[in-house]
Amino acid sequence: MQTSDVVIIGGGVIGCSIAYHLAKRGIPAHVIERDDIAMGSSGACDKAVLLQSKNPGIHLELALKSVKMFPELQKELDTDIEFLNHGGMIAIQNEKQWQVMEGFVERQRKVGLDVRLVDKDQARALQPAFSGDIIGSTYSPMDCEANPIYLSLGLYRGAKKLGAKFSLRTEAKSIKLEKGRVKSAVTDSGEILCKYLVNATGAYAQFIGRMVGLKIPIVPRRGQIIVTEPVAPLLRGDINCARYITAKFRPELLGTDEMAKLGVGLSLAQTVNGNILIGGTREFVGFNKGTTHRALKAILKHATSIVPALKDIHIIRSFSGLRPYTPDGLPILGEVPEVPGFIMAAGHEGDGIALSAITGRIIADVIADGKPADDLNIDMSKLSLERFKEVDVDEFWQSHNCYGYAL
Amino acid sequence: MMNEEYICRCEEVSRKEIEEAIEDGARTIAGIKKRTRAGMGLCQGRTCRRLVSQMLSKHTAPEDVLPDTSRSPVRAITVREIIDGEDR
Repeated sequence: MQTSDVVIIGGGVIGCSIAYHLAKRGIPAHVIERDDIAMGSSGACDKAVLLQSKNPGIHLELALKSVKMFPELQKELDTDIEFLNHGGMIAIQNEKQWQVMEGFVERQRKVGLDVRLVDKDQARALQPAFSGDIIGSTYSPMDCEANPIYLSLGLYRGAKKLGAKFSLRTEAKSIKLEKGRVKSAVTDSGEILCKYLVNATGAYAQFIGRMVGLKIPIVPRRGQIIVTEPVAPLLRGDINCARYITAKFRPELLGTDEMAKLGVGLSLAQTVNGNILIGGTREFVGFNKGTTHRALKAILKHATSIVPALKDIHIIRSFSGLRPYTPDGLPILGEVPEVPGFIMAAGHEGDGIALSAITGRIIADVIADGKPADDLNIDMSKLSLERFKEVDVDEFWQSHNCYGYAL
Repeated sequence: MMNEEYICRCEEVSRKEIEEAIEDGARTIAGIKKRTRAGMGLCQGRTCRRLVSQMLSKHTAPEDVLPDTSRSPVRAITVREIIDGEDR
């Protein structure tokens, strides 16, 4: 039988970041991954490392702290994570959106985000590809970009180099407890004794939770994204639209048309290779990772209303990822008191890439010191599983189309 | 010199880079693709899929080398053709 102080289940960007930060502190974890690195949502997302899309409050505070760590990762890791700081814009298409964004921007500024509203001419000067039909935009010089796959692989290689162990193509089958405390992880290739077990399985977190008798309120929210052929530089930085913010936080305000049902909101950025990533949707369709023609069409119609030049570019691929969605849009982080040794690190929805760095740091601190370092100044009660104790988790699963899997 | 030949012509990925990806832990077409971009180009792996499968079959039982997920569109198509197309 093998032994490791810490077993991490899940080789996505979160699991790899935790392994990396633990290894830096001299704690070599053992990561169990049923497929390969970044095979779930971490490898099926856009490239934005956004601050503007975060709700003012602990959400944005976490993102600000996390994004500050990226330049250091770019330097430390042997893999080029293609980190860029080219800013971001949220296109505004009508007066009503302008009013909503005015309030949003004002609240974000109070938390320390450098962001402002710009009129149509200024917006088009910053982003010449914008349609003449937009009425304005937000602009933040602080928004960043990174290659999510290379970030995950970079953290994986960095952690391995510092002594962490990875068992790829290895599936966790059950978790053994002793006097209520985590004792070991049983995998399809043996049992690993451990003191701590980290659930970093994103949209699949409920399955690992069930192994220790916990009901985890995380459900998959599908995001479909389209890839174009590589083209000459057309876009700079991250582009979103006001609908994206509404679809993320207040989907009920979008109405009931086709676009609203699919949760369409624009996310647009050009990769280092020249491909343009055009997203996306927010759909509750269980664990279905398919893409649909209906969604591709809705996404592209919307995207071309903001950047008309996309019309003559070829698309070459579509894909989708399952974002781990929680009832309040915040991740679930930290040790669960009912099951000592069981640590949650999932539920980042579409913010997993941006929040990966700070999540790795927080969980490494929780394991090494029992809590995040004081200088991080993080209120863990707002991220705990216990904050959902009043939530009917069965009902939450059921109403978000994934109850059948949870039985 | 054999290592300098291109396996994925669209993304110019060499045999050596694929071997390094296998060394890094990749055992599937998707794993190779994520590490090297082989199959991410204009032809979406039509040419390199077989060559990559062949290389993987030295490390994994051939029957376990599964094809990557097929996704729309089958051929490159302009954005205009999709948005002007009929609803299905």
